[in-house]
Amino acid sequence: MSVVTVQLGQCGNQVGHELFDVVCADAQDGQRKAYGTASCERFFHQTTHGDLVARAVLVDMEPKVINQSISRAAKSGRWRYGETSHFSQKQGSGNNWANGYCVHGPSHRDMVEELVRREVERCDRLAGLMAMMSVAGGTGSGVGTYVTQCLRDIYPSTFILNHLTWPYGTGEVIVQNYNSVLTLAHLYKLSDAILVHENDTVHRICSQLLNIKHISFGDVNRVIAHQLGSVLQPALTADSQGVYSRNPLGELVSSLACHPEYKLLSVSTIPQMPSASIAYSTFSWPGLLKHLRQMLISNTKMEEGIDWQVRPTAGSERTSSLTAPSFNTSLANLLILRGKDVYSAETGAFEDPALYTSWLSSQEAFNLWKSPVPFNKYEKSATVVSNSQALLRPLDNIVGKAWNMFASRAYIHQYVKFGISEEDFLDSFTSLEQVISSYSQLC
Amino acid sequence: MRRSKAAVSVEVRQVIGALCRLLAATGLHAVPAPETFRRAKFSGGLEVEDQFWQLLTSILQSAGIVSCEAFNQLEGVSKHRKLVAAGLWQTGYHADWVSGGEGGEGGQGGRFSSRDLLLALGWLLATGTLEKLLTRRVQQMDNILLTPIPVNPQLSSELQLHSASLRKLQWLIGSLNYQGQILLSMQEERTRLLHAVLFAILQTSVSSPDQSSTVLREECVCVQQLCDLLEAYLNWKQVENIFWTWMDSVVDCHLTDPVVEKPTHAPSGITRVCHHGNRGLEKFEDMILRLPRGQKGQQIGRGDAEDRGERSTEPNSRLKSRSNAAAAQQRCPTAGPETPDELPLSQATQLLLHAEALLLERRDRQRLANRIQLQEMVGKLDELVLIPP
Repeated sequence: MSVVTVQLGQCGNQVGHELFDVVCADAQDGQRKAYGTASCERFFHQTTHGDLVARAVLVDMEPKVINQSISRAAKSGRWRYGETSHFSQKQGSGNNWANGYCVHGPSHRDMVEELVRREVERCDRLAGLMAMMSVAGGTGSGVGTYVTQCLRDIYPSTFILNHLTWPYGTGEVIVQNYNSVLTLAHLYKLSDAILVHENDTVHRICSQLLNIKHISFGDVNRVIAHQLGSVLQPALTADSQGVYSRNPLGELVSSLACHPEYKLLSVSTIPQMPSASIAYSTFSWPGLLKHLRQMLISNTKMEEGIDWQVRPTAGSERTSSLTAPSFNTSLANLLILRGKDVYSAETGAFEDPALYTSWLSSQEAFNLWKSPVPFNKYEKSATVVSNSQALLRPLDNIVGKAWNMFASRAYIHQYVKFGISEEDFLDSFTSLEQVISSYSQLC
Repeated sequence: MRRSKAAVSVEVRQVIGALCRLLAATGLHAVPAPETFRRAKFSGGLEVEDQFWQLLTSILQSAGIVSCEAFNQLEGVSKHRKLVAAGLWQTGYHADWVSGGEGGEGGQGGRFSSRDLLLALGWLLATGTLEKLLTRRVQQMDNILLTPIPVNPQLSSELQLHSASLRKLQWLIGSLNYQGQILLSMQEERTRLLHAVLFAILQTSVSSPDQSSTVLREECVCVQQLCDLLEAYLNWKQVENIFWTWMDSVVDCHLTDPVVEKPTHAPSGITRVCHHGNRGLEKFEDMILRLPRGQKGQQIGRGDAEDRGERSTEPNSRLKSRSNAAAAQQRCPTAGPETPDELPLSQATQLLLHAEALLLERRDRQRLANRIQLQEMVGKLDELVLIPP
């Protein structure tokens, strides 16, 4: 069972590279052979010479980042990208979603589809496709959305997970909110689940937990890769009957995102600390899980600054959480535990019905994966993937800012000239308003 | 663009041939030759009828419309006929010979023909029996086919239809969809592995155990049959409309049959076959047209009768009499032309004159009596002097 990753744009190619690096190091690290084999089969194929080649397709409209990723992977000596599984052009999308979606995507469709098809044919069994991209720029978001649409057409019954990196709230690109709105609205119809990392949150993790002084994109990407790896590496699931699950994306999606109006997933991992400190730290499962649970219900993405005042309340007393800093209601949660003594961990606190919406029982809403193999040097680590109100406020911010710009018709002509009309914008706003409303009513 | 008749008939024969092949492939035993169909259209006689009785019996049994036990319980030469009549009745087909239950026998033998059986076959094909047969056959032969598990569709009585239940339902549907996808991909993997195993076996061991090769051979035959069946169905589907055009001609033939039928009762004469074309409609319109004309005739008749009673002297024109009839209806809507209370005028005059005479006589008598009484009273009053007016 293998996952084919499609790395799109600058962000997608950088995060993808970090993910493969983490996964490969983790798979080759331990003495657990079954785990390593399962992990390698999932993300790499082996050449006749024994080289590990990532099951990945790299797509960008500029050659620079792709070349960097390829050469850095080759330098690692552990794994590399396929020699012909990348596609790049000379000119970027100019941070314009419409340019990527309406121009670059369609004109390079055949090439990209062919690359993906070749990777898919290399798999004994395809577990799913994972498209990685940012929502702010032009290539990742625009071409990425277009490619996702093509993949959905070609592989209608395959699981497709989109990993999105949300931009800093302060802004990297002036039209990032337009790009985000268009991407999210389109992907909501195409993707099975949308896993989101916010740059702001990850940045805070880098500065406050990892104590990094001058934070680079590499640091941010490594945190994202660590969290993603802890989700995607092999684990024992309820359905896998004592062996490592062979269907990671299918089980992830079917435990978290069965409802068409709720597809946004967020990730929290504990512990995260500078690698130098790991050796001097000890962790206990009850402590880790207590913290992680409070992070979940108070919507704090890291161990620092958890609001311990937030307590689950009865369903009738809950209020809409758009305004007040209140309890974060979940629709569904997936808890993934990795490391020593994992079978002794007590996870009953995550099965509390008060954590979940009234219309889904906690048996259906809560899933648990376990693996006795420590992940990425941490003796014990716990990750929760949550379909909850956690992303409601950032989403509302993005849509609100985009709407304010749209109200004054700022930069709209840049999109219209590539074929995205005001109607298309309005459609996107409408569908995201529906998503916001659905998550607001999640209580 | 009309093709020549010969070409069409050749084509029809080929199409019927395709149908016969398909029927045989679905596992029916008694499939007549295409030529028999043509003969059946022109009432081909007992031999043809027999073949069609058997075919219909076989279809009805294979499709599960009638059970084989029912057939075995029946006795006598007409058991095919009884069974077919019962089966057709269950599928909603109606014809005199079906409801009579005595099809093709005895007194009705003159007008029953193999064409009726051909029409019945057409009905069965048109109502999807063929697809039913096909599905059954495929299920028999394809042992890796997943048959749907019967699910109890009763909803829990506790389920209340509000938005929370709806959301939960949507979640569960989504979950089922994903489970389906996972199953599908597992099946794909199994197929791939099976292929790999088979390939390995074929490559490594030519001298595989007898048993497994027998099983494989049987499986191979089965798959071959399945392919033939599906191919036959495909061939039939491509040319099906030619068959139905021909079937239309059979129906036409049936309706314009020179043999005068004497239907036992009028409505069944209309509904006994499904009419293609407007022939039946024409008949019906004709009947409707005849109906009001008859009623008008009755009215006219009544008007004439009244005319004869009183206005016999007037000219008996159609228009007049019709208006008279209307007037008569207005005057006396319920009464008939000769009411017992009404007298002839002369007699009435006489009666009246007689009564007048009697009354006048009574008046004169009374006047006389009064005068006498007055005189007597005056005679008693002597001193009173009366001056007459």
